Amino acid sequence: METTMKSRSNLVVSYITVGGIVIIVMMIFGILMLLAQGGVLDLPATSFYQFLTIHGTGMVGAAALAAAGVMWYFLSHYVDLSKKVMSINLVLFLVGVVMVIIGVFSFKYASSWTFLYPLPALSASAWGTVGALLYLFGMLILGIGFLLFYLDSGRAIIKKYGSLAKGLGWDVISGKKSEKDAPSGAVVASTMVTIVNITALTAGATVLIMNIINVINPSITFDPLLAKNLTYAFGHIFANSIIYMGVIAVYEILPRYTNRPWKSSKAFLIAWTMSTVFTLIIYTHHLLMDSVMPNWMLIMGQILSYANGLPVLVVTAYGALMIVYKSGIKWDIASGLIYMSMFGWIVGVVPAIVDATIVVNHVMHNTKWVPGHFHMYMALGACAMIFGFMYFLAKEDSNMKTNMLDKIAFIAFTLSIVGLSGSFLVSGALSTPRRWATHIPEWMAPAVFGAVAGVFAVLSVTVFVIHFVRYINKRNKVGAKEDFKDKKLA
Amino acid sequence: MVQTVAWIVSLFFMLMVVAVFSFVAWKSKEKREYEPIKKKWYKARTFYGITLVSLMLIITIYTLRELPYNQPVYGAGNDPTIVDVEALQFGWNMSQTKFLVGEPVEFHVTSKDVNHGFGIYDEEMNMIAQTQAMPDYTNKVYITFDEPGTYEILCLEYCGTAHHLMKTKIEVK
Repeated sequence: METTMKSRSNLVVSYITVGGIVIIVMMIFGILMLLAQGGVLDLPATSFYQFLTIHGTGMVGAAALAAAGVMWYFLSHYVDLSKKVMSINLVLFLVGVVMVIIGVFSFKYASSWTFLYPLPALSASAWGTVGALLYLFGMLILGIGFLLFYLDSGRAIIKKYGSLAKGLGWDVISGKKSEKDAPSGAVVASTMVTIVNITALTAGATVLIMNIINVINPSITFDPLLAKNLTYAFGHIFANSIIYMGVIAVYEILPRYTNRPWKSSKAFLIAWTMSTVFTLIIYTHHLLMDSVMPNWMLIMGQILSYANGLPVLVVTAYGALMIVYKSGIKWDIASGLIYMSMFGWIVGVVPAIVDATIVVNHVMHNTKWVPGHFHMYMALGACAMIFGFMYFLAKEDSNMKTNMLDKIAFIAFTLSIVGLSGSFLVSGALSTPRRWATHIPEWMAPAVFGAVAGVFAVLSVTVFVIHFVRYINKRNKVGAKEDFKDKKLA
Repeated sequence: MVQTVAWIVSLFFMLMVVAVFSFVAWKSKEKREYEPIKKKWYKARTFYGITLVSLMLIITIYTLRELPYNQPVYGAGNDPTIVDVEALQFGWNMSQTKFLVGEPVEFHVTSKDVNHGFGIYDEEMNMIAQTQAMPDYTNKVYITFDEPGTYEILCLEYCGTAHHLMKTKIEVK
């Protein structure tokens, strides 16, 4: 069993390490963009938009990879997952990343990670066919890897529990099975992510192929509104799934630290079914400024975006607070980051819900308000879950101690992400457009503040990743010694 | 201004979240039996859940009363000025750029090439309205300018490497 656990962890640590390192590099691009917007750095506009493209693509891809590692680690305690598929996903991820990097930096491709049709083909001569195809095929390959990953998780869940519906605990909700036999939070969350991401990746692959065809032969055209719907269905779901994979770490780690069980109640299962449905259909809140969309879809976009806050506000976050309250929990970096991640998620949900209000969106859509809320729940939420898991794994596997630097990094990370996200929100309230290479003087100060906060954030994350790499080294040394002992005994 | 209201509302609820998480973290040092806590907190959750749903319902109903998609009802003899707007990399073709205070205006916005965003900014550079500019489709913005001045149109959807240069001015007298 130990051998299985160790080899399983090898792949998991590869996912987390690659994810962590890519996140650091992407943070640096983020800082450079903010410095350029703040008037501190003279960055050519073409470079700015290349950085924008790589930053978005890399952040979502790397965080998704690391979060998939977290999901795999805990889900494999309950079902039999394929290591081969996990390895293929990693290889395809790396191949995709290399293609994207070459497309962006060698062929000046800069469509932003949303690649809104027909921008990949119509760049006003800023980039050519090769760059666009490298990027789009790179994304497609990356997506295929993830699709295989979720098909495997779906297969394993169906094999063990009978169906994906049972993985979501519908037999418990309907009363056919008692609450004590309900699937664990890790299984329920994994089932949800499997369902939504297979859908998202199918939509993404479709729109990528549409763009590829259009790039190769511009006379073949598609409906731009359909393409936009597919793009946001993919982007919204896939990006949000990161947090739903990361939260598995919260479900698994907090009970260990508090010695309190976190069982799947009916309310818990209903909340996850709600999250599954809402996550699949609320992407229309990205299209609130497309009045040609059926109005009922846009109104539902607002209503369901509000409703989507309920499962996390009433069940998951509430459960996390309840389990920690008067628990005598022993705080360390792992538990601190995990607790902080729930805070980051909830605090980011607030401006997100506000922005999903049509009358607000009318004057705040595509301003920096949007990165303001998603940097909160992605960086202080989803990424904190991943970093918390890194510290948890290091402690669980190696008893590695943390030092003062780790504590400082934890505090600096929290404050800097609050500062960074706050600076974006202030910019949004000032109507600063997002994705602009330059700013007028009135918009510059928050950008500079955000860049300074970003520097502290990247230093903190570097400390987190170094801690994890130190753990891998220690683990490898112990592993090598044990292998040597085993050989001697044999 | 909508932006100020959005900011204050967000700040209020975000500070509430800070207060709750800080309180629980502070109380986490004590150690008590879990069962009585669960019993008490589950009761509180019912109240909290109902309050939250009610609050969301009220805000939903209030904010959905008037939507930017709805064409205003124009009085007799007060027909709107229709402005055809075509976005293109990296500029704007507009059939009219001069308007009067109090004159109802409809911007019919489309695009010649890729997706763009049509954002109207007042003299203090606060956004007052926007819509997407899409090829093959026409989105509409209904607006009546209350103040005279020079307004700016900014592109609000990333459209290529000169996206930030895509702006123009309109005059309101």
